[in-house]
Amino acid sequence: MIRGVIIINDQGKPRLIKFYEFQPPDKQQELVRSIYRVLCSRAENVSNFVKADSLFGPDVRLVYKTFATLYFVFIFDKSENELAMIDLMQVFVETLNKCFREVCELDIVFNFYKVHMILDEIILGGQVLETSSEEVANAVDAISRLEKNANSMIPSIPGWQR
Amino acid sequence: MGSQGGFGQSKEFLDLIKSIGESRSKAEEDRIVLREVETLKLRLNDPNTPKYKLKEYIIRLLYVEMLGHDASFGYIHAVKMTHDENLLLKRSGYLAVTLFLNEDHDLIILIVNTIQKDLKSDNYLVVCAALNAVCRLINEETIPAVLPQVVELLGHQKEAVRKKAVMALHRFSQKAPGSVSHLISNFRKKLCDNDPGVMGAALCPLFDLITADVDKYKDLVVSFVNILKQVAERRLPKTYDYHQMPAPFIQIKLLKILSLLGIGDKKASEQMYTIVGDIMRKCDSTSNIGNAILYESICCVSSLHPNPKLLEAAADAIAKFLKSDSHNLKYLGIDALTRLIKINPEIAEQHQLAVIDCLEDPDDTLKRKTFDLLYKMTKSSNVEVIVDRMIEYMISINDSHYKTEIASRCVELGEQFAPSNQWFIQTMNKVFEHAGDLVNAKVAHNLMKLIAEGFGEDDDTADSQLRSSAVESYLRIMGEPKLPSAFLQVICWVLGEYGIADDKYSSSYIIGKLCDVAEAHPDDDTVKAYAVTGIMKIYSFEIASGKPVDLLPECQSLIEEMLASHSTDLQQRAYELQSIFTLDAQAVKKIMPVDSTCDDIESDKNLSFLDGYVQQAIENGAQPYIPESERFGISSISDFKSHEEHETSAHALRFEAYELPKPSLPHNIPPVLASSTELVPVEPSYVADILHPTSAPSASDAGSSELKLRLDGVQKKWGRPTYSSPAPSSSSIDQVKVQNETPRPDSASSSKPKIPDTSYISRKQQIEISPEKQKLAASLFGGSAKSEGRHLPSQKNSKTQNHTSDTSRSSKAPAPDTAVKTSQPPPDLLDMGEPSIASSTPSVDPFKQFEGLFDFTQETTPVSTGGVDGATKDSDFTSLFADMSLSAQTHIDPNPEPNGLRGSKVEPSAHQLNKGPNLKEALEKDALVRHVGVTPSGQNPILFKDLLG
Repeated sequence: MIRGVIIINDQGKPRLIKFYEFQPPDKQQELVRSIYRVLCSRAENVSNFVKADSLFGPDVRLVYKTFATLYFVFIFDKSENELAMIDLMQVFVETLNKCFREVCELDIVFNFYKVHMILDEIILGGQVLETSSEEVANAVDAISRLEKNANSMIPSIPGWQR
Repeated sequence: MGSQGGFGQSKEFLDLIKSIGESRSKAEEDRIVLREVETLKLRLNDPNTPKYKLKEYIIRLLYVEMLGHDASFGYIHAVKMTHDENLLLKRSGYLAVTLFLNEDHDLIILIVNTIQKDLKSDNYLVVCAALNAVCRLINEETIPAVLPQVVELLGHQKEAVRKKAVMALHRFSQKAPGSVSHLISNFRKKLCDNDPGVMGAALCPLFDLITADVDKYKDLVVSFVNILKQVAERRLPKTYDYHQMPAPFIQIKLLKILSLLGIGDKKASEQMYTIVGDIMRKCDSTSNIGNAILYESICCVSSLHPNPKLLEAAADAIAKFLKSDSHNLKYLGIDALTRLIKINPEIAEQHQLAVIDCLEDPDDTLKRKTFDLLYKMTKSSNVEVIVDRMIEYMISINDSHYKTEIASRCVELGEQFAPSNQWFIQTMNKVFEHAGDLVNAKVAHNLMKLIAEGFGEDDDTADSQLRSSAVESYLRIMGEPKLPSAFLQVICWVLGEYGIADDKYSSSYIIGKLCDVAEAHPDDDTVKAYAVTGIMKIYSFEIASGKPVDLLPECQSLIEEMLASHSTDLQQRAYELQSIFTLDAQAVKKIMPVDSTCDDIESDKNLSFLDGYVQQAIENGAQPYIPESERFGISSISDFKSHEEHETSAHALRFEAYELPKPSLPHNIPPVLASSTELVPVEPSYVADILHPTSAPSASDAGSSELKLRLDGVQKKWGRPTYSSPAPSSSSIDQVKVQNETPRPDSASSSKPKIPDTSYISRKQQIEISPEKQKLAASLFGGSAKSEGRHLPSQKNSKTQNHTSDTSRSSKAPAPDTAVKTSQPPPDLLDMGEPSIASSTPSVDPFKQFEGLFDFTQETTPVSTGGVDGATKDSDFTSLFADMSLSAQTHIDPNPEPNGLRGSKVEPSAHQLNKGPNLKEALEKDALVRHVGVTPSGQNPILFKDLLG
């Protein structure tokens, strides 16, 4: 199963932390820090895999990939395939790209809620739910529309800004 | 959709992020976040806060927690939001709750009711949100509350809901297998769901269930094979294709399941050969996902009952992986190789150079994987090279977790395959030196045992050679600073036991060294204890052999220091050492026999050797001993009293419950004392204590029984003065000295040259001097060739060798081979898809493509939007930031100009710029590519209906 998904920027600031088994906040911070340390020490042009058994227990690995200023990290155990995880990450990023048109770090910071929504459509309870970025984008769209419609009482977006 | 006119968040949130980005220190950031926490606390607790603001506040709270600050005050608000009718608020609430709370949190009970209600909602999106929460928040106790609804949702008309319901059930079975054991048939049923997505979801729980108990699911082998066949033949709707592979994630899951079902099951394996072979042939090895499937197939092949043809295909695939430039593929190649050598050890030889390349690769992950491989392929012929390499690597890394793992592997391999004991000791020395505190204490004891027992054969000269080489190496090493405690213990023990065994070193030299160790580690009681016992042994040997002994001044001060130690154990040992000098040679010889560590110590429980003494005492008017049981049984209290009084009279201070007779005491008396009954002054228990460190190296920190023994002795010190009674005068020692000038038997072998040590060094040099990989390869892999009567370790020959082994293999097992051939289906028309894919990119070098794997796929998919889009977004961006100071951007992004932000786009936009100008064109292009590449097949809605009946 997939243990967690983390996005960190190149300064080590977490941008998204999602664990599929509960981790207390302190532990989360510690894990993010140790993962960041490991990732920083990796040279360029090496494999995208890192053994994470010292952090998460035996047979747990992580796959990471850098996209511009961000590290995307998937943590998973031996019931998942490493290369497939890279592709799943690709699906995630593609979907983000679709939903935000060319996503950047700021999009992820500000649209935290939506990023979670997208991720929830791809991975549920640590299992891969959907691998077509089109399907995911459609689902997210449907939810967003519905949320908007159901919210007549919420003023239109410009009003939100103050 | 998208950014909803910018980022869709309030100015306050923008400001918060801006100021956090600007903060120059962690402290400043903390201040800002704490201020934010205060604001949120106020707002959330304010009953007048408008509802539509709540979502934002909760999101901000999530953000605060993500940065590592306490947000627990807001949990209850998140819970409250889940109760809201408004979908947006409800979903935000659910999101927050799933991130904030663990399933055992007290607040969960307040959500269960809402979840129950939402699971019944007409709106499937509400149901989905509730199912998301169910997966995360329901624990064993609350499962029954939602279980009926979740089961009902398995039949929901929306496939998205069915899928999530399967996942939720899976989650339940993970958390509390008992709670859903009666529902497992549902997973089987869902395999025939109309929707392949739901079927794919059902594979996840089945995978777990099969991992737990294979036998229950053997009947599903046919179904899984059929499903996999249909998937591989592209009979799923095209929407399930991913990068032109049909439903790759489902294929991977199925292959994993098949490999579980095929382990050690020839019949089941035979059913799978065809489809696994098909998949391996069809895999598009130019795409990432294609390789993922290929790798999974190799794993599957390696766990199935061996099939020569498949193994050959797997070996070919591994060769491709290892030759690739991609580190990812090399990594998988090594991993696959590790799996395959279990079945066919020769495969590794074909790839020896690639393996060595990986071993020297700068990529740590790859290196570790390669060490895993080496660990698995170690045998007595290559253990020296492999362990040497491992130790070298172990020294170079800092990660203590991995260091421990490598150290214990070195020890394990050493113990299992050591070519010689000298080598073993040298290796262990290195392991201890660099990772001594990380390895199991048992390893140290094993090492001491090995040195004591030697080869286990009756070859005394070899044993003493071994010991003297150990002593020599320790004397060399022990001066180095920062040696780990466990290693020092071994050193002290070995020096004490064998330091002067071959007369090469004088006793005062060894004792001086031991004193140095004790002095250099004032805080380590265990090491000090070992050192003192070592000193005691040396002195005893000297006394026993009748040599004149004088206490070295540094030793004297050490004893004095220890007599005042807080540790009773150290005090005990110091007293013991002191008392050794008061005994004559005969007594000492009995107490500390030379080289007797391996002798079994038998205890005479009847204490027959004391009979004479007892008799004498009774004759002198002492009361006869009455066993404890009789004493109480007869209840002759007066007798008992008088007995006690008699004892009491000997001492001034006496408390009643102080000293019940201890029946356990006599157990410790060794037979060695049998002949030395005249040496009364030494208390039996005390003798046992002295002997103890000799018999069991684990001395002070050993088991509780030994601890008890020692405490007995300590009590004695407070109790009666017998402890250090100076019975035999020192003159008797002198007397004995004159008589016992005979050399000890052990020293006979002392003059032997130190051959083993030098031979080891020369061997090591040889390895280090020849850096060419060929040599290394020969030493790593050549061993196996030698042991199997081959002689072709070099690369050039490996090809032919491969060939011969192949032919021999196929001739050996012709039956399964032909069976596979006949059972292969006629070529499938649908397979035509593959060549056309290849033809669509004929001019591209497949390896080039590999390098730019993702970029390449980007270009053929509609995912990346055109540069025009990007430009419009830029303007968006600038307008949005118009009211923010420029400095805000500089801190979030390295480039100050708004244009620079494009540089930080997650997708590299350079690629997109020279591509089609708009989304539509890209889409069309992609559609065309897919059309050309894939033969579309009709939808097949009732795909799996026929499988299970």
